[in-house]
Amino acid sequence: MPALRSFFAQLAALFARQSRDRELTDELESHLQFHIDDNLRRGLTPEEARRHAVLELGGVEQTKEIYRERRGLPMIETLLQDLRFGARVLARSPGVTAVAILTLALGIGATTAIFSVVYGVLLRPLPYRDSNRIISVFEINPDGQRSHLADPNFDDFRDQSRSFQTIAKYGENVVSVSGARQPTRTSVANVSPDFLKVFAIQPILGRDFIAADAKKGAGPTVLVSYGYWKQELGSPQDLSQSHLKIDGAIYSVIGVLPTGFRFPADVDLWLPADLGGENPSRTSHNYSAVARLRDGVTAEQANQDISAIAQRIHNTSSEQGDYLLKDGTVIPLQDAITGNVRSPLLVLLGAVGFLLLVACANVANLLLAQASVRERELAIRSALGAARGRLVRQFLTEAFLLSLFGGSLGVLGAYWGVAGLVALAPENLPRLDSVSISIPVLVFSFLLSAAVAAGLGTFIALRATSGDLRKGLEQGGRGEAGAQGSQRAGRIIVAAQIAITLVLVVGAGLLGRSLMNVLEVNPGFRVDKIVAMDVSLPWVEDPKAKAGQAIFFSNLIDRLKQIPGVRKVGAVNALPMEDGGGLPDGMFLLMTQNELPKTADSFGPLLQQKERVGSADFGVATDGYFQVLGIPLIRGRIFDERDGPDSPHVAVISESLARERWRNQDPIGHTIEFGNMDGDLRLLTIVGVVGDVRDYGLDAPPRPTVYVNLFQRPRSAVTLTMLSDADTRLVTSAARGILRDLNPEIPAKFQTFSQIYSASMGSRRFNVILIGFFGIVALLLATAGVFGVMAYSVSRRTREIGVRVALGASSRDVLNMILGQGLRTIFIGVAIGIVGSLALTRTLQSLLFGVNATDPLTFAGVTLLLVGTALLACYIPARRAMHVDPMIALRHE
Amino acid sequence: MTDKKDVWQGTLALMVLKTLQSMGPLHGYGIARRIEQTSGDLLSVNYGTLYPALLKLEQEGYISSEWGVSDNNRRAKYYKLTRAGRKQLESEAREWEQTTEILARFLSPEQES
Repeated sequence: MPALRSFFAQLAALFARQSRDRELTDELESHLQFHIDDNLRRGLTPEEARRHAVLELGGVEQTKEIYRERRGLPMIETLLQDLRFGARVLARSPGVTAVAILTLALGIGATTAIFSVVYGVLLRPLPYRDSNRIISVFEINPDGQRSHLADPNFDDFRDQSRSFQTIAKYGENVVSVSGARQPTRTSVANVSPDFLKVFAIQPILGRDFIAADAKKGAGPTVLVSYGYWKQELGSPQDLSQSHLKIDGAIYSVIGVLPTGFRFPADVDLWLPADLGGENPSRTSHNYSAVARLRDGVTAEQANQDISAIAQRIHNTSSEQGDYLLKDGTVIPLQDAITGNVRSPLLVLLGAVGFLLLVACANVANLLLAQASVRERELAIRSALGAARGRLVRQFLTEAFLLSLFGGSLGVLGAYWGVAGLVALAPENLPRLDSVSISIPVLVFSFLLSAAVAAGLGTFIALRATSGDLRKGLEQGGRGEAGAQGSQRAGRIIVAAQIAITLVLVVGAGLLGRSLMNVLEVNPGFRVDKIVAMDVSLPWVEDPKAKAGQAIFFSNLIDRLKQIPGVRKVGAVNALPMEDGGGLPDGMFLLMTQNELPKTADSFGPLLQQKERVGSADFGVATDGYFQVLGIPLIRGRIFDERDGPDSPHVAVISESLARERWRNQDPIGHTIEFGNMDGDLRLLTIVGVVGDVRDYGLDAPPRPTVYVNLFQRPRSAVTLTMLSDADTRLVTSAARGILRDLNPEIPAKFQTFSQIYSASMGSRRFNVILIGFFGIVALLLATAGVFGVMAYSVSRRTREIGVRVALGASSRDVLNMILGQGLRTIFIGVAIGIVGSLALTRTLQSLLFGVNATDPLTFAGVTLLLVGTALLACYIPARRAMHVDPMIALRHE
Repeated sequence: MTDKKDVWQGTLALMVLKTLQSMGPLHGYGIARRIEQTSGDLLSVNYGTLYPALLKLEQEGYISSEWGVSDNNRRAKYYKLTRAGRKQLESEAREWEQTTEILARFLSPEQES
């Protein structure tokens, strides 16, 4: 207790030291007076009295010193002294200090911003209890790719595995929902009843699904997200009156999920899966699966467990072929969610780390130049008895001050930097909502600042205090000899800077070229002036109801054509490049006219005959769709009035399919069976061949596609496409009015096709913009670094240059000397940079398109750019050196 | 003067506390003089070490200080015992008594026997 008490007293004593000092002086003074009074009383003369008193009191200053040490905390006092002195030194050259702080702020801020994204997306645990026990379960197809699960396979995983506490499947969908405030297109998940148990959550209101809710023919029930309950339903406490019309059926709202629970991402409603019964096929991969590991079971054990079951299915199933699973696997849910973005994000983090290094190098150079100006001060301090350790500590303190200011400023900047990053981030970047400047991010950036301070401080201190400091005094303040050493250090730093910058700019160049290559790819369709309108009608199975929906779409298309400015209207089941969209794919059969299969079950044996099986994407479109997107007709015809619901069903195939399946033949007139996609077993006669479309992004090859006619093979959800010269907003509101007119309960979602198209390149653009930005900033910093070191060197050598000129050196010689010195540094940097780039750009390989990681053109271009700017930065100081007047230079010092 | 003993470390604090207990509030010089007198002028207090010792006691909360005016109208800093100081004095005094008793027992009978 007393020890603690005195610690606080000592801490308090760090403040108001002057008044405390005065108090002690007063006290000692009064002590003396008492003593003198006593001595006078004993009969001494006043002089004697005073002399004795002073003698007996002893050394007053010594007493004061002991007293002071006891009073405060000497260690902290030295630190405060260092801090005060450091702050004074920094304030003495405000320009240098400001530049150093801003440079550090830039480096630390950018690193903090990128780290906050990396942390939020990759590192932050998912917001579920024991989230590291939650895993995703996949089938593995014969190509070795992970794929979704087929219903019977999921059932086997669930019933036969011993590794899971709970396992659940889920699928995502966007459907029309009405009955709340207004009809909307809403993301829903179809889930098996144990879904919430996997995440260990429970409804905050109402109840969870029970097994009976998922039985075939059960009354439809739905769970809603907290946000949906609040905004769309008006937060009713009693759910018994809450119903939603989802996809045409009435669902009772039975529960509200806790705030923040949105899995899968952006879903608002959870419905029981398979209300219409399970799909018995082992090759229809409709569901994802998540599971919670049983206590004590590792992911590796679960993996073996699932793999064994999957292989058993593979070996015993009657459905063989390319779509039957070959194996199974599990991976942590967090990795499953973020797997695709992991390497691009780590590349970004690496890039920003390089930027930070370049920034630190600039600051190191600034401080080094500062330190050599301070040689005299250091010499005096050292002559007065300051130990080297004390001087080193002084430099460390200053570096700490700088990075603390820089770091704080950087974190402030990172606050809006993160907002910018989130706005700029591609839509497919998962977990963006968990990206923020959180406590771990702040801790990270504090540690980063401290590390920068330690690095910078140690480096400067060791450099500045090496050698015999007292020489600084002998030189009478010119400090040329010592400056030699610091100039060499400066050049090494600049070379390193150039090397790192080269790596960054090469990376940016490679990514930029990839983006350009991607943009040059012909997508196979027109992008501009197209408005897309998603509409989905209730899902129906009855052929008559389906035919009714075809008529509805036909009417809708006719009405949309009337909108002023709209030239063409079409419809398709999924637009190219749509995020998470894409056409479904499957296996079709080559058949002759008289081979009509009776049921889908009879497909099995036919699929074994390799020569009659083909694999293709399945598009459902109208004739207008090809016209709107400008997909060219290559042979035959596209759909027209002849192709009514009752006339023979026809198909149009893509060029690549024609080439692949009917090599050296005319595909027109052949018939195929693709009824496994929509349940209609009527044969399709091929009537035309159209151009290829890059459905899955410009960087993926086009897929062979079979298009069927929407009016012959109706479906309930389509995207309408309108080619229009009119303003998008006018078209949108007119189209909305027409839809409301036809059916007020059906919502629509509008987008321009160019939005979809450019979003498909979002992540590529994100990387290019950020790494390009880092590259440019690094280039500027490195240029400033070269300039700074050269200018400093020239100013330090003014006298020497003066002597050279006086002895007959021409200004050309001087220019060559300075440029030569600069060039050496630059070339060393560039050489190291090229080697480093060759080693590091390999990590970019997966992000590149149409360009090699060692692309000579990029390397050459970047090297030229860097050498050019660096030479320019040398040239300005070199010119100054050229014009040195020997008379002035020699008198100068 | 020369054969006077310096106050040895550790006991000064106890003496200060005891002096303040018996004399009431007192200034630094007064404390020093009183200690010397009580010792029958056998001890001399090093005034230089007195003030840091007083500061330490104050920081530990055993004494408190206040500026006041002496009988002959001099301004001086007066120290007085706090409640914690009184307790500390009791326990330390007890310890000293024990120590000296033990030492006495060690020294006297052995010499006789």
